[in-house]
Amino acid sequence: MIEVKNLTFSYGKDKQALHGLNFTVEDGEIFGFLGPNGSGKSTTQKILTGILKGHGGMVSLFGKDIRSVHTQEFFQKIGVLFEFPYLYANLSALDNLHYFSSFYPKEQLRDAEEVLDELEFKRDFLRKPVSSYSKGMRQRVSMARALISNPKLLFLDEPTSGLDPTGAVLFRRIIENERRKGTTVFVTTHNMLDADLLCDRVAFISNGNIVALDTPKNLKEQNSNHRIVVDYLYQGRREEKTLEAPELKSGIPFAYDELISVHSQEPTLEDIFIRYAGRRLS
Amino acid sequence: MSWKSLYSLLKKDCRMMASGKFFFVALSSLLLYTLFINFGYVKFMDANANIYNVYLYDPAETLGQVSPLVYQVDSPEELDEALAMDTAGSGVGISITSGKPDVILYRGAEKADCHRVDYALSLLHSAGEYTPEIVGSNTLEMKQRREITCELLFIEIVAVGFLGIASVLFKEKQMGVIRVHAIMPLPKNLFIFSKIFLFLLTDLVFAALMALLNVGFAETGSILPAVLVQTAILSLIMALSGFGCTMVFKDFKQFSLAYLVIALFAATPVFLSANTSIKMSWIDWHPFYHVYMGLKNAFFGTPVTSSAYYICTVCAIVLLCGIVGAAFRKEMGKEG
Repeated sequence: MIEVKNLTFSYGKDKQALHGLNFTVEDGEIFGFLGPNGSGKSTTQKILTGILKGHGGMVSLFGKDIRSVHTQEFFQKIGVLFEFPYLYANLSALDNLHYFSSFYPKEQLRDAEEVLDELEFKRDFLRKPVSSYSKGMRQRVSMARALISNPKLLFLDEPTSGLDPTGAVLFRRIIENERRKGTTVFVTTHNMLDADLLCDRVAFISNGNIVALDTPKNLKEQNSNHRIVVDYLYQGRREEKTLEAPELKSGIPFAYDELISVHSQEPTLEDIFIRYAGRRLS
Repeated sequence: MSWKSLYSLLKKDCRMMASGKFFFVALSSLLLYTLFINFGYVKFMDANANIYNVYLYDPAETLGQVSPLVYQVDSPEELDEALAMDTAGSGVGISITSGKPDVILYRGAEKADCHRVDYALSLLHSAGEYTPEIVGSNTLEMKQRREITCELLFIEIVAVGFLGIASVLFKEKQMGVIRVHAIMPLPKNLFIFSKIFLFLLTDLVFAALMALLNVGFAETGSILPAVLVQTAILSLIMALSGFGCTMVFKDFKQFSLAYLVIALFAATPVFLSANTSIKMSWIDWHPFYHVYMGLKNAFFGTPVTSSAYYICTVCAIVLLCGIVGAAFRKEMGKEG
């Protein structure tokens, strides 16, 4: 679906934003692009969505060079959720969706109310102006705008930003549903939980370079110290012991009365990012 | 598909203009201008439309007999004082120091006020000796109506039209929705076209109504096509400038400062040069002077025929379209 080879981009003479990125995104994959602010995430997404022009290297989408695909037909196939909920504040959710969907062929559109229902949008607000909505409601309408055209390729920039935990779970479920329908999803985020729970593969980007790219599981395995911390009770006392993973092959190798917990000591994606990039994500 | 997209954009822009009270402001301006012209300006000017006082300084007494309506003065200082003190404010001074009469006007330029000069010169000759040149067939009231309608229309387009497009666009810019259009399946220039088209249409309707209500139904028929052409030129230039400035400036505060400079640059020297005795040798280089005179000539039924003028205005509009297109694409690519 997406193939990027040696992608470079510069905002000016001394403002090199991307230094030769290489990655591919397969059809139906959820691909996470992780990095702190200013790392080059948004620049990459803007190049992929045709907003920024003048890049170096090779980028192909839908099997065609990006320089030739940014036609109306291309924009009909993609859906984009921006980092901020860009909507007409004086129009209602429905009016916004009807306006933006009017640029797509009718036959590919979903029903606006149905999409909003799926996003658990409060029906009372359907016809009220966006200016009266909370941040979470605006994010829902923005997501609905991205989904209403049944895109084949979905670009999501910080999809769960501004949502409460319930909303974030709902959004992750909807993104998962989209993947099941065959939609390819390109997620740009610095939210580790989203990346861990959603993405098939993640790329860590720092200062315009991809410093690591793999599945979250593989990254965690590769960066694990393979130690296990066991919390247990023995002769009325609570104790803790750190073991090397192979030591557990034949069970718990020490005496105990009761096991309280076993921690794998697996690093989080954030720990791994810091290890690769030498800086935190947010 | 493009027609459908254009229809959606036009519908949305109409709603934005309506919610921004643009139509209300335009309609109120039309009403206000019409009341002012019909019940204020024309009546006020009529009261001042008496015969002008003519003051003559002729130390060598080169003229034998002059009309008894001429006030003779003894020195250049006295002539200056007489003109300054003239209660009607429309006196004409004539100084004959170099053998031929030099006309001195304290209000209005000689070129713009030929009939005052003609009247004054006619008084220097005995009855029947001098036949004033007939300039146009307008009555004084009609002349005033055309002049003030043209001036108010010019102000309306330069100021209100320019601010109108900026106020609508700044709202969209602040809401970030311009960036959303970057990923919509529509030709991006349609977004610009839709706005410019609507503002142009509004200005044309405004100009037609201004002419009909203030110049008169009978007279408007013959001048309307030329007035609409000149209005279209001015409207396109101002709407494109407003669009470009909105893309360049960060917020409405910055824009309003720039607007002051632009409005002052566009309007003040033009009005001073065209309607007062202030002479600016460089005014021929001022683009808005030519556009204003184009509009004024259209109102007086003598439309500009110079092809150089039309070539220059078309070039300026094409250039502005290019600048606006580039600024718009830059805005679409900006961070949130």
